[in-house]
Amino acid sequence: MWNELLYAFEAVATLPNFIAMAAGIWGGVIIGAIPGMTGTMAVTLALPFTFYLPPVTSILLLVALYKGSTYGGSISAILIKTPGTASAACTVLDGYPLAQQGKGGKALNMALVSSCIGDFISNISLFFLAMPLAMFALRVGPPEYFMLMAFSLTIVASISGRSLVLGIISACIGLLLATVGEDIYGSFRFAVTEDMKSGLGVVPVLIGLFALPELIKMIVFRPEDNNAAMKLGDNRLTMAEFRGSVKSILRGSVIGVILGAIPGIGPSTAAFFSYSEARRTSKNGDKFGEGELEGVAASESANNGCCGATMIPLLALGVPGDVITGVMLGAFMIHGLTPGPLLFQNNIGEVYSLFIGILFSSVFLFVAGKLTAGAFAKISRIPQTLLLPCILVLCVFGIYSIGASPFDVSVLLVMGIVGFVMMILNIPAAPFLIAFILGPMFEDNMRRSLAISRGDLGVFFHSWISWAFFALTVLFIALTIRREWQKWREKSSNTAQSA
Amino acid sequence: MTPNRDFYTGLIATAFFAFVLFVLIPIYVKVPSFIPGFAPPPDMWPRVITVVGLVMGILAILFAIPKMRAAANDGVMTIGATMHRNRKLIVRFAGVLIGFAAFAYAMPEIGFVPATILLLAYLFLMTGNYSRKIWMIGLTIVFPILLYLVFTEVTHTPFPEGHLFSALAADFVTLI
Repeated sequence: MWNELLYAFEAVATLPNFIAMAAGIWGGVIIGAIPGMTGTMAVTLALPFTFYLPPVTSILLLVALYKGSTYGGSISAILIKTPGTASAACTVLDGYPLAQQGKGGKALNMALVSSCIGDFISNISLFFLAMPLAMFALRVGPPEYFMLMAFSLTIVASISGRSLVLGIISACIGLLLATVGEDIYGSFRFAVTEDMKSGLGVVPVLIGLFALPELIKMIVFRPEDNNAAMKLGDNRLTMAEFRGSVKSILRGSVIGVILGAIPGIGPSTAAFFSYSEARRTSKNGDKFGEGELEGVAASESANNGCCGATMIPLLALGVPGDVITGVMLGAFMIHGLTPGPLLFQNNIGEVYSLFIGILFSSVFLFVAGKLTAGAFAKISRIPQTLLLPCILVLCVFGIYSIGASPFDVSVLLVMGIVGFVMMILNIPAAPFLIAFILGPMFEDNMRRSLAISRGDLGVFFHSWISWAFFALTVLFIALTIRREWQKWREKSSNTAQSA
Repeated sequence: MTPNRDFYTGLIATAFFAFVLFVLIPIYVKVPSFIPGFAPPPDMWPRVITVVGLVMGILAILFAIPKMRAAANDGVMTIGATMHRNRKLIVRFAGVLIGFAAFAYAMPEIGFVPATILLLAYLFLMTGNYSRKIWMIGLTIVFPILLYLVFTEVTHTPFPEGHLFSALAADFVTLI
């Protein structure tokens, strides 16, 4: 094995491979940072170029684009409250408040460091855990997915802010909007217009909900400081700040690796899961959502932790976990490589070259992230009155380019108004976001499980994985009820004392 | 009692979920006559969500009552009076709504780029801050054209040209 690894190292350490990785990471970071342009778009656009490249170089280019775009989403999420990609939506929750406090540079640095660590751990896992994790992924069926999603949805309780009731209302609106369009059996729900039959896209909804309310707020309220530029402040991340987030970074990376290895979960879910865990276990859990570096670290380490791990089922079993790995599967095929168990027998040289190359990509990510974040940080110096209308136009172009659909643009604008109304009514937007992303997976797996078992609810308790997630769900619901009860008692005793 | 923001939020949420449950679901969620095996029908999940939402809306109203009693004692302004006092803000919000609606309508009519230029100009005007007029005018024209070029060259996105300009161009070609 070690000899083969050395040969692979020699094969990877060539100028064309390094150029491909550097270009991929850089291109990915820039594309990811533009609202509306996704990693899938980046990888798909690059696919035709890979026809003329050697197999390893072309796969490295695509993987680099994927990693770069996953990190790039956090730049716009932190600086302009606009998640570049859906997986960066969770980063907005703490990243933007940090930027508002003049700690945008710190948030960007934390996002970069945690993304690189998550990415590196994910790449290492690809080396050593590809086969066992792929086998684990095979044991996860609809009932296990359902329990996992149920557990993930309990995060709503912890990010509801001052009122759990308003948080659940927000989550219900998100779940309801996620049902628009065709369901798993082909019937249409809430298809008021022809366009609504294909459902509401995640990207227009997310960007509309987070980016546009800021613009509308500025126009309606015209605050005094709207002509002022945001202050980036001290950019350096201190050792103490890093040490305070190490646990969250490592936990997020492991969550990213495990969830990334399971087909269909993806970096958005991993980011929410990790954020929720960090909030539950952190000493500063109460400050999450108000600008906590640990929150940025948790979500960013998890979403980048997914990147390498999504390659595990693809390489070991030939099963693409998401759209991006689906495109990569096509790239493998084009170059005469068939992912699956036989790949490790027939093309072990290429596999090791890929592993080594992917490891290098973490270093490229750090360098590209440092340089690009510095350039993008200049955006925050532009006055809000000039910046926010331009962001809207950028979002409109980005959203339109995804599917060449005017309907998506209308969804973006309507969601902006909905987001503003929610802001006015004190309804938190974060639970909406989580419910909208996780809702379809939750419902599909519930209905699939019940269809498989012909309505027998026992299907949800057939495996230890389901039991484990069920126990965690019950535990966290019980803890939330206890917390709310204590809060209510404290409030009533305070009122009685003041009376 | 003086209704407060939480009360109105609860009221709006209750009305919204009730409307979805009793009006939209029966009309817009079709239940097919045949569902493979034993499978929950398509309306099951939306119904569960709306019932939970409805209950939460009612709870929000109930939880707002003690605060409303306290607010009445403190002489807090009603939301109606607040709205009357802030009618300028409401007019500006209506302005945003009209701007967005006009853009969505104009996009296929006059073309994507002209509609975006108009939208950007309108938004700059709505900000109420004209200290950087030159920048505003420059960005209004240059920024959408630049984005148009980037997106058409890089992603090959076919942006709508607009019925109006297409028709004019066709007439012009016919004349020639």
